[in-house]
Amino acid sequence: MLQFDQVSKSYPGGFVALERINFRIAKGEMVFLTGHSGAGKSTILKLISMIERPSTGRVMINNIDLSRLKRSQVPYVRRDVGIIFQNHRLLMNHTVFDNVALPLVIEGFTGKEMVKRVHAALDKVNLLDKQRCLPETLSGGEQQRVGIARAVVNKPPLLLADEPTGNLDPELSRDIMQVFEAFNQVGVSVLVATHDLGLIARMRYRTLTLKHGRMINDGLMPLQEPI
Amino acid sequence: MSILFSGRASGARANKIGAVRRFLMFFVHHFRQAIASLGELWRTPMASFLTILVLGLSLTLPATLHLLVKNAQQIGGGFAKAAEINLFIRDNATDQQIKSLVTILSADSQVASVTHISKAQAMAEFQEASGFGAALNYLTDNPLPDVLVVLPNNTDPAAARALMQQLSNERIVEFAKLDLEWLTRLEAVVRLLQQAVIAIGLLLISAVLFIVSNTIRLSIISKREEIEVMKLVGATDAFIQRPFLYTGFWYGILGGVLAFLVSEGLLWWLRGAISDITSLYQSDFQIQPMNLIEFSAVITLAVLLGVVGSYLAVRKHIRAIEPSGP
Repeated sequence: MLQFDQVSKSYPGGFVALERINFRIAKGEMVFLTGHSGAGKSTILKLISMIERPSTGRVMINNIDLSRLKRSQVPYVRRDVGIIFQNHRLLMNHTVFDNVALPLVIEGFTGKEMVKRVHAALDKVNLLDKQRCLPETLSGGEQQRVGIARAVVNKPPLLLADEPTGNLDPELSRDIMQVFEAFNQVGVSVLVATHDLGLIARMRYRTLTLKHGRMINDGLMPLQEPI
Repeated sequence: MSILFSGRASGARANKIGAVRRFLMFFVHHFRQAIASLGELWRTPMASFLTILVLGLSLTLPATLHLLVKNAQQIGGGFAKAAEINLFIRDNATDQQIKSLVTILSADSQVASVTHISKAQAMAEFQEASGFGAALNYLTDNPLPDVLVVLPNNTDPAAARALMQQLSNERIVEFAKLDLEWLTRLEAVVRLLQQAVIAIGLLLISAVLFIVSNTIRLSIISKREEIEVMKLVGATDAFIQRPFLYTGFWYGILGGVLAFLVSEGLLWWLRGAISDITSLYQSDFQIQPMNLIEFSAVITLAVLLGVVGSYLAVRKHIRAIEPSGP
């Protein structure tokens, strides 16, 4: 599903954000990505979402080499990746319904099919009754859930979540993670970038740990291990 | 099982819609985006109004000048028959000599028609037209000469002038008259106006392209965040560009209609003054408004300007916006 082969990323000025990163996420696998600030988590997410290209190495999604992708092909590959942003990135002057419908509209859905899917996504995050609201009238947790609904509405095979529980209380965090697990159980690959070691410890999934741009651990994180 | 999970029993897969449906949806989306863009104009009334006003007024000037040129050409065309040559016959010429000259001229290939206005007819016309009717009865002798009105086949000023020279050599012709100078001058003025219309039009078109392009550029900048999000969820540049292009389209339509209304209003306003002038020359000249073809041309030009102006902005600026990251 997702594969990093000897991926390095350096920026002008000589800063090395990632160094020879190798990992593979299989179809239907759920993985945590963790590390301190500046460890390279965001760079990995940027490479997967094609915001950045690797300096060396290959990033593959479904056997498509992203570093060789033409600019015009990028949007079509992005449709296969649902991204949940830490700061939600909702369209504030559009309703919750319109925000969630956006990926479907882009893909060419209209009418009943689109409404059905948007309602299903909103129902999954318990926001069906807020579909006519503007995002600014919602709490941070609700906005996060709108972002999740938008990311999953077109059934992408890969979900990326950047600190999805960062602004949420423990109960809401658990609910959100349960939504990810629900998607994972029906075959969606999920990569969650988080600082929350407690969350990682509770959920016991494979964890990629980064430090100064290098992968220092790939597997179940030992309980209480400092990073 | 939720619809979100349907079709996933065998694992995750990308969702694609059929080619036929995609084709139909393409038009549905175009229609929706066109209507949504109209709504966008409504949501930004002042900026939209000013852009439409500038576009409309910029097109009004060349459109009105074109109408004035067209009407001036009509005036010129109406007086083309002024290329008549008047042959004033010597007082001592006999009727037989005059008839003989009329016969010769009628057979001349350079001459379209010859009309003989006798002294008596000329006097009757003069009495009627001059208002001196009764006073002229006191004249002991008719002072007016016989006149042959010759209409050349070729009404080109140079050809008519050459024919006049030739006819003035006829023995019984006292002198010949061809008054075409004013027509030549009018044609020169009309040509100058036509070139002025083209020059002014080109300048204004450049200005309109810049203004529309700049308005759309500002609109793109104000929606930068939205565009980034759209790109992150898989929107192509073409998809993102479309509403802006439709906005340019609506600017064009509304600006074109405004240009039509203002130029017609100006013509209506000038109609009274022009009517006063033409009535002094016993002319029944009626000013011609914009016809359907000209109206279509104004609207088409305005739409082209709106769309091209938008395209110049979106091509550069939407491409330049890249998502900054999750």
